[in-house]
Amino acid sequence: MDINELKDKIYAFVEAAKGKKKLKEKDIIKGVSAEQGLTPEEVKKAMREMIDVGKLMYSYGGGASSVEIPSEEYLREKGLIK
Amino acid sequence: MALPQRKTDIGPPHYKQFLPPVIQKNYGDWKYHEVLTPGSMVHVAESGDKLWTVRMASPRILSTDTIREICALAEKYCDGYLRFTSRNNVEFLVSDEKKVAPLMKELKDQKRTVGGIGPMISNVVHTQGWVHCHSACTDASGLVKSMMDELHDYFTTKELPNKVRLAVACCVNMCGAVHCSDIAIVAVHTKMPEINHDNFKNMCEMPTVIGACPTRAISPDPAKKSVKINPDKCMYCGNCFTVCPPISIKNPERDGVAIVVGGKVSSLRSNPKFSKLVIPYISNEPPRWPKVVAAVKHIVDVYAKNAKKHERVGEWIERIGWERFFSLTGIDFTFQSIDDFTFMRDTMRTASTFKW
Amino acid sequence: MKKYNTPLLDDLEKGPWPSFVTEMKKAGKKNEMANDAVGHLEKCYSTKKGYWKHGGIVGVLGYGGGVIGRYSELGEEFPGVAHFHTVRLNQPSGWFYTSKVLREICDIWDKYGSGLTNVHGSTGDLVLLGCRTEALEPLFAEYSSRGWDLGGSGSDMRTPSCCVGPGRCEWANYNTLEACYQITQEFQDELHRPMFAYKSKIKFAGCACDCVASAARADFSVIGTWKGDIKIDQKEVKNYANKMDINAEIVDMCPTKCMSYNGKELKINNSECNRCMHCITRMTKALRPSGERGVTICMGSKAPIVVGSLLSWVIVPFMKMEPPYTEFKAFVRKCWEWWDDNAKPRERIGEVIEAKGMRSFLEAIGVPPQPQQIREPRKDPFIFYTDEDIARFKAKEAEEKKTGKYKF
Ligand code: HEM
Ligand code: HEM
Ligand code: HEM
Ligand code: SF4
Ligand code: SF4
Ligand code: SF4
Ligand code: SF4
Repeated sequence: MDINELKDKIYAFVEAAKGKKKLKEKDIIKGVSAEQGLTPEEVKKAMREMIDVGKLMYSYGGGASSVEIPSEEYLREKGLIK
Repeated sequence: MALPQRKTDIGPPHYKQFLPPVIQKNYGDWKYHEVLTPGSMVHVAESGDKLWTVRMASPRILSTDTIREICALAEKYCDGYLRFTSRNNVEFLVSDEKKVAPLMKELKDQKRTVGGIGPMISNVVHTQGWVHCHSACTDASGLVKSMMDELHDYFTTKELPNKVRLAVACCVNMCGAVHCSDIAIVAVHTKMPEINHDNFKNMCEMPTVIGACPTRAISPDPAKKSVKINPDKCMYCGNCFTVCPPISIKNPERDGVAIVVGGKVSSLRSNPKFSKLVIPYISNEPPRWPKVVAAVKHIVDVYAKNAKKHERVGEWIERIGWERFFSLTGIDFTFQSIDDFTFMRDTMRTASTFKW
Repeated sequence: MKKYNTPLLDDLEKGPWPSFVTEMKKAGKKNEMANDAVGHLEKCYSTKKGYWKHGGIVGVLGYGGGVIGRYSELGEEFPGVAHFHTVRLNQPSGWFYTSKVLREICDIWDKYGSGLTNVHGSTGDLVLLGCRTEALEPLFAEYSSRGWDLGGSGSDMRTPSCCVGPGRCEWANYNTLEACYQITQEFQDELHRPMFAYKSKIKFAGCACDCVASAARADFSVIGTWKGDIKIDQKEVKNYANKMDINAEIVDMCPTKCMSYNGKELKINNSECNRCMHCITRMTKALRPSGERGVTICMGSKAPIVVGSLLSWVIVPFMKMEPPYTEFKAFVRKCWEWWDDNAKPRERIGEVIEAKGMRSFLEAIGVPPQPQQIREPRKDPFIFYTDEDIARFKAKEAEEKKTGKYKF
């Protein structure tokens, strides 16, 4: 699968869980690789690239870390949007 | 000015560049050390080279200006080489014997607190408290300052049978090995949390909150789309509050501290041990917490008078028995000291061979 | 700058012990944020209540650890602490510094934050207390370009730490400083990007004195040990005899009663010594470990949340611990993998071991059962047997029938 396509799938996966479940990295890697029939390494790599450029972000709440879709506030603060 | 290019995953700098030449030369080849005064010791290498260490107390919270003052001292007496200990003391690493006495003198002139080496009370491991943590039921720094003002002779001059490790945790999360200290203070809530049901819906995951409770006190409250707490089961650990902000547990009149004793982490003579509860509750009394300070001082005094040389607090108590500890200290024994959580079967006495 | 009336905190400036209030005020003279932190703390003292909100979602781009979000409920009253985030800088092994780098750290911090620090936090990191969200990226750029990286927080490997070890201690059984450095470097990804169910801590102590309290608060407590004899310098023993009662203070306090002293010569029955370090620490000039060095790896200790505290359990009685630490790294990876597969959210590895059973864990990481791992064998008869176990017992019995000799 094309990496950009994979990134869209990952994004959709995270978006679907929004407000329902806090996803750990592992949940995304396991979920998406099963869903798309890819290796966990491929998914991890794509997910990390997304985190590095602020398409996704690490979050923390309830004593544990998770991966989420960044808020506008976050993107603005990182200078990724005006 | 433009910012420099950021780098990621470079990790900490290699320690070697921060080691004074005498350590680089004798790395791993130390032969012995001698404690010279409660604030200084000398390490002697197989090669005969020597390194002097002067240890100074720190309040752990340091302003950048104080760090610069410490740097200036290090530059004047030890070519800029220094380190910090696991209990937040500053250690000046002096390579030239002639500089030791002048350094000690200057520290004295600057009214710095020097000591903590040997069978004494070293600095107090503690956590953030009201200074910087949302979970706090007390202030750790204030308690430490108040205790050490009272006990500071044991840092600077007075010896005890062995080291007495003190610690303060500002809530039962007990950040920082408090649960294995000779004498530790742990701040506690004593009242069931309250739930803001309106916010619960938006901010919390029901299964996570229910799962967070160690005693299964939390169950769903479908009518309110929230949860309810069983008052008979809640032991105020605050874990639900950690995972769900609309659950609030802070209560100025009821929050207080408990004192636990007899823990250790080293394996010298006897195995590492947990600290055990002896005083279940003392009210928060900022800024000086006088009753807490008096209680700790009292336990130190009774230990100093009764323990054999080299016995840590926990070893002393195991030798004489907990019933004797309570009678020697005159501390009231209460229901709270009987474990009714996970350890009851291991902690009840199963023989009639106790002391009166 | 706002002037706060702080009668309660002022009281904590009195007395002989160095005062954290003095430090906060000192920073507050130059810095609005620190000044407001003083006012904020006085309010806590007067109401006996904290006002920090739960940590928020802050960090530097790409990392999930190293910054702890901190906001006050009283942001309007004390604007300087409205954002007051913690930055954890990964300390050098053994907390060694030169004044030059410490000054550099201070200068950057003064530029972007409150000027308040914890040197160090109980995690081991050099903790920078109090900065605004928008300061994080520039601050990280400046620190990282000068060779300083962030430590851990959240569900990641936390910043490893170690005792002073061979840097200045004659008792170190391995190079704690180098092990800590190399393991931290090896697991940069695990340190900066929270990928686990919860936190995981590794602490390195050179001997059983355990000066970093590893046994009490590390998922991996890596404690130095040795296999040879304790070498005795009888001449030095004589010198100690002039200063101390060797029988009372050393021989009688030896937990295994493997020592004897007849007023002339000290003897140790080394095969019975359990290497507790008591005699060595008390007679450091006379006694020295010898022979093969390595570590005992204990696992699982943690503070009491959620179901009670744990001290670390002996898992690997002996492992060599030498660069490049291949065996140790592989061991940690195996443990993490099993933990990750089995942990519920916020479960530390010790808790998962308890829940799944020690056997399941040991089998997964390929460590055999050994009496060194336990204090005593099980006392209940509720024993699990797999078919393979029984087959193995039976096979042994068949073998015995052949040889005519029991092997228990
Ligand atoms: C006179 C001999 C000793 C010297 C010179 C000595 C030196 C030190 C040093 C330098 C530290 C700070 C370590 C670091 O920051 O990495 C330390 C901490 C510590 N030492 Fe020792 N030590 C001695 C004896 C002992 C003994 C006999 C014990 C146990 C009974 C012990 C237990 C500890 C512990 C537990 C800590 C950690 C502090 C804590 O968090 O409790 N030490 N010691
Ligand atoms: C959301 C809740 C928590 C917060 C905000 C929190 C915060 C912190 C902070 C600020 C420190 C550094 C302490 C200092 O240097 O002053 C710390 C360290 C520590 N925390 Fe927590 N903590 C939390 C939960 C817990 C829990 C649940 C545990 C135990 C299971 C725990 C165990 C520890 C320990 C043992 C340390 C010492 C660091 C070390 O040993 O590496 N904490 N925590
Ligand atoms: C349905 C369950 C059980 C039955 C029917 C049962 C029955 C018996 C009987 C008939 C005796 C012999 C008494 C005598 O004549 O000396 C005995 C002894 C004993 N049983 Fe059980 N038992 C049961 C469960 C247990 C359990 C669960 C335990 C331990 C947890 C236990 C511990 C003992 C002990 C300690 C003795 C005394 C042995 C001795 O020292 O002589 N029993 N039991
Ligand atoms: S012990 Fe509790 S209040 Fe103190 S720093 Fe840890 S979590 Fe915060
Ligand atoms: S405070 Fe602790 S015991 Fe009480 S309901 Fe919350 S999680 Fe359960
Ligand atoms: S743990 Fe052992 S080797 Fe490390 S500093 Fe302490 S006494 Fe020395
Ligand atoms: S190290 Fe401990 S067990 Fe071994 S001889 Fe010395 S005191 Fe005895």
